[in-house]
Amino acid sequence: MNVNVFQEQVAPAEARQLLAAYTYILDEGPLGDWPTLFTETCLYRITTRQNEERNMPLSIMLCDNHAMLYDRVEAVEKANIYEPHYYRHVLSDSRTLRTTADSLWLETSFICVRTMLDGRMTLFAAGKYVDEVVALAGRCLFRSKTVVLDFSQIDTLIAKPL
Amino acid sequence: MPFAVYSDPVVFAQEDREIFHGPIWHFLGLEAQIPEPGCFVLAQVGKTPIILVRNRDGDVSALVNRCSHKGTPLAFVPSGKVDQFMCVYHNWCYDLSGTMLSAAFERGVRGKGGMASTFKKEEHGLQRLRVHRICGLVFGTLSAETPPFEDYVGPEFVANIQRVCGRPLRILGQYSQKLPSNWKLYIENVKDPYHASILHAFNGVMKQDRLTMEGGIKMGARGWHHISYSKMHTDTGGEVYSTGALRNAEIEAYGFGLRDHSMTDIWDDFGDNVTMTIQTIFPNFVLQQLRNCLAVRTIVPKSTHEAELMWIAFGYQDDDERRLQGRLKQANMMGPAGLIAMEDGMIGGLVQKGIAGDLDKAAVLEMGGHGIEPIPGSRVSEGSVRGFWTGYRTLMGL
Repeated sequence: MNVNVFQEQVAPAEARQLLAAYTYILDEGPLGDWPTLFTETCLYRITTRQNEERNMPLSIMLCDNHAMLYDRVEAVEKANIYEPHYYRHVLSDSRTLRTTADSLWLETSFICVRTMLDGRMTLFAAGKYVDEVVALAGRCLFRSKTVVLDFSQIDTLIAKPL
Repeated sequence: MPFAVYSDPVVFAQEDREIFHGPIWHFLGLEAQIPEPGCFVLAQVGKTPIILVRNRDGDVSALVNRCSHKGTPLAFVPSGKVDQFMCVYHNWCYDLSGTMLSAAFERGVRGKGGMASTFKKEEHGLQRLRVHRICGLVFGTLSAETPPFEDYVGPEFVANIQRVCGRPLRILGQYSQKLPSNWKLYIENVKDPYHASILHAFNGVMKQDRLTMEGGIKMGARGWHHISYSKMHTDTGGEVYSTGALRNAEIEAYGFGLRDHSMTDIWDDFGDNVTMTIQTIFPNFVLQQLRNCLAVRTIVPKSTHEAELMWIAFGYQDDDERRLQGRLKQANMMGPAGLIAMEDGMIGGLVQKGIAGDLDKAAVLEMGGHGIEPIPGSRVSEGSVRGFWTGYRTLMGL
């Protein structure tokens, strides 16, 4: 796929549909569909507000292409061990940060509730998404998605992407 | 190992007294976190809050973060930069080395009120810890009995710190994990090379660290500390990993393998082909080299059933862009979402659930025998875990 062909303007309402599809996949599955919402060359990372404010480049998760997204899915589904759990994401309205010739930058607040199979429920994550959305053949995709967590102390572990 | 040691509040209180306030060197932070005079970070030794601060003369001080007046913490944000420490409660002031400078209304107002004539500021400086600096790492101790750092850890342990931290460090970032377990379940896990390629199937399947590689365990002074190391290029074949009663064998049958290889595109940072070193310093410090992914970890006890695992990832100031990006990519394997490390966040909590209700029973600790002597060329041993308990029993008087 040629990554330089995104020339369509992206409407905020269409980008919101992409966000809705994104959290639906994380909350309802299948996780294997998660990479399909990104462009081939992309950036997905989870970081913390603390690291962002100090200009520290460390990520909690970092993928910069489709193959890495699929590797993460496969590891989570086959190799890693963790207590099975559900996510439930709730998003705010999105604020448009800027528009470029072929993309739209959005910022959206989120919270994510994590529920274990025995019923224990925790407010697991709060933060914001900083997204760059492009359109390819009428379909919106993330060219980059940075998850900035408000907190830097993670409860136990993060298995699935946020 | 009696299960009660992980759950008993009396034991927990005794650990704070005998271990954390006892003759140990406790990691406090990296010098790179406090580059300029007045820069500080907070730390915790057992329950005791600590400030690590850069002085005007370039030296570092470790001070108990507690105003001499009422006991209020002088700093309550995790890091910052100050000219002096001023307590928010009654504005008692201290310089960067903890000497008391002033108290608000020390002489009262218009000759009335003020501190008692017997009050002497020089008697109310902040409590200072003895500090040892090595290659940008700062350790401190609350006890006057603690031996010099080199004697405490042993020469091979100084050498590995010099190996990993011997060039100016660049901090890449930090985060922490709240672990639902006793702190000792985590440190036992770190000191246990037996589990590394089993629980962490990613390690085994991706051949990042296997017991079939050349490697070994080194024990530090008195057996309290350990280094586990391996050379991934020397894997002698993993028949046991493909055919044994291991999860690894099941996963291999799926044909699991990375599509992207940028994360495993590694280089030899130290010219010795050693691709993995995990070094612990008793009681709760870890220096990590996983290929090119470098970090320090400290496990801070919070209660019998909770601990905080603090991570600081670093590279070197002279890293070029390729190496910087390589380290950041490989950091996918560490931390709370670490492809290798994530299970360590939950396994202690799982054990704690399993042992609940039968604290008179005990764990088995016999892999590699009963002693703490390393088995040359083998890591199929829990000798280093027994080494931790050797130090623990000495300090706890057990």
